[in-house]
Amino acid sequence: MKKSWLIFLVALLLVGVSTEFLRAKVYIDIRSPSFRKFPIAITPFKSPLTPNEDMKLGERVTDILSNDLSISGFFALIDPKSFGESLIKPPPGVSPLPAGQRPAGTLPDSVEFRRWANIGAEALVMGEITYKDRSLTMEARLYDVVQKELIIGKRYIGEITDLSRMAHRFADEIVFALTGEQGLFQTKIVFVSKATGNKEIYVMDFDGRNVNQITRHQSICLSPRFSPDGAKVVFTSYKSGNPDIYIKNLGNGEERPISQYPGLNISPAWSPDGQRLALTLSKDGNPEIYIVNQDGSNLLRLTDNPAIDVSPAWSPDGKKIAFVSNRQGNPQIYIMDADGKNVQRLTFEGNYNTHPAWSPRGDRIAFDSSIAGGHNICTIHPDGSDFRILTANLGRCEMPSWSPDGRNLVFSSNRDGGPHIFLIDAEGTRIKKLTFHRGGDTYPNWSPRFKE
Amino acid sequence: MLKKSSVWLVVLISIMSIAFIATGCAKKQVVKEEATAKPVVEAKKEEPKPAPAPRVEAAPPAPAPRVEAAPPAPAPPAPAPRVEAAPPAPAPEPVDLVSLRIQFAFDDYSLSTKAKENLEKLAAWMSKNPKEKMQIEGHTCDIGTNEYNLALGERRANSAKKYLEALGVGSAKISTISYGEERPLVPNKEEAERSKNRRDDFVKTR
Repeated sequence: MKKSWLIFLVALLLVGVSTEFLRAKVYIDIRSPSFRKFPIAITPFKSPLTPNEDMKLGERVTDILSNDLSISGFFALIDPKSFGESLIKPPPGVSPLPAGQRPAGTLPDSVEFRRWANIGAEALVMGEITYKDRSLTMEARLYDVVQKELIIGKRYIGEITDLSRMAHRFADEIVFALTGEQGLFQTKIVFVSKATGNKEIYVMDFDGRNVNQITRHQSICLSPRFSPDGAKVVFTSYKSGNPDIYIKNLGNGEERPISQYPGLNISPAWSPDGQRLALTLSKDGNPEIYIVNQDGSNLLRLTDNPAIDVSPAWSPDGKKIAFVSNRQGNPQIYIMDADGKNVQRLTFEGNYNTHPAWSPRGDRIAFDSSIAGGHNICTIHPDGSDFRILTANLGRCEMPSWSPDGRNLVFSSNRDGGPHIFLIDAEGTRIKKLTFHRGGDTYPNWSPRFKE
Repeated sequence: MLKKSSVWLVVLISIMSIAFIATGCAKKQVVKEEATAKPVVEAKKEEPKPAPAPRVEAAPPAPAPRVEAAPPAPAPPAPAPRVEAAPPAPAPEPVDLVSLRIQFAFDDYSLSTKAKENLEKLAAWMSKNPKEKMQIEGHTCDIGTNEYNLALGERRANSAKKYLEALGVGSAKISTISYGEERPLVPNKEEAERSKNRRDDFVKTR
């Protein structure tokens, strides 16, 4: 008996290995500068047992998946209009067993890959949603149309409110399976909204859905930033009558002040290891950049200049800090070592450059700039080369923040009044509006990928 | 016994391979993903906010008597203009702090001639009303990022504070706060409005 179990285990391992082998195939080489967008078809998810028609569970999943994949920039989504009835309807003879009862993975035989290939699809996404006994099940599959095989099949079980999470998770699976890189569809964005009349902190999904208010200070809250583990948010609030810095634990809602010196306590930025914060204090009479432990101890001053020094941003390796200073007349971006030494001016174009954000890959610094007849989001190499303007005719664009993969940014723009939060890719080609709140949304900050 | 288990084994392996072939190892991959785990960020039950911690300001604890709606100029008492010796704490003279508000140029915190005149008037009033304390609020227009504007607003407030101190107003009587672009006087629609928002406001404090 023991022996048989051993063999069983080996068999299991073999399956696992072949899975990895399948996975290892990279369909889209997104590291190549001229990768071709991968043509993918997302069929409408079926939801045979939807509790009521209005919920349109299948449509919602299809929407979220399409939106995620299109934001990623890796895919060319095949227009559903070209699918035609016959492609979506199961061919005769396929049992319409509800998902869950049907052995998973039997569908490939029924998929007419050739017909999908004819409309240009190289990958195909199909799935079903069932809702039974207050439990929501989503089955989703990704097929390789050319090789005529299943790439991933997943079944997610949860509550009805988990639907968008399931869709984002499967979208992440698709990106990982086809590119070998982690997706970012389960990330969040923290931002400031004046929806209630006061500036409060909110968190939403990266695509603008599921907005949650996390402060109720009835004051002014500013500059929220996710900790590198995504568990906490640091921000400035006037709730005690002065701009002070607080850390909020998103898990238990606990909030504690960490910097309440006289004068400004603003622009906090987590060190990449999450242990320390760079921030701006004016307690010594002038806005200077300091570093402090996240419990408020070990305050260390980095800058000493009669000008304004503000808005520190760490390099991903924690060795450098970019910041804003007007020491040479108007606000420009500077870089210094994390101990305050070797200050060097980074930006020379535009006479008003603020809010630096260092890409998680380390190779670009984004900031906002009065340039090209407006206020725009720009990026530059940390050595000062390859200056690029990403936005144009988008109103006043401010406060860029990078996605954890360094491929996208969010920022605030007053193009449609607002201001509202917009998403743009690092090349400045795809733009998407994420928020629509009355009163205005500002200070977007993209979360890291959360550990599951 | 051995035979039995071998049969069992063969059956098992065949099941495995059938599943593997049929599904392209979907069997392995159709994992019951636990999607029920709570989202990392969910609506917080906001605990009732404790009263804001008392803040230690520069101000001494003794609350000066505060006369809000200034009574129409009580002025020197009509009789006996000769009584020079210590009148009992006079009510503060009214002062129009709105008219004393000072303006700044874009991205600038230097004081204009007009601003200095206003500050001189304010200093004169403060020396005549020695119990009054003043908070200077520094404000900016909405151009640029507010983190920079908070610093700029503080510079504007400090410019005024330093000038008042140079005119003899005790530093303990003046506090500053910057709101950056957070409290515009008028919506920042045109340059004319923006320039109105680049200002210091004066607010009496206790």
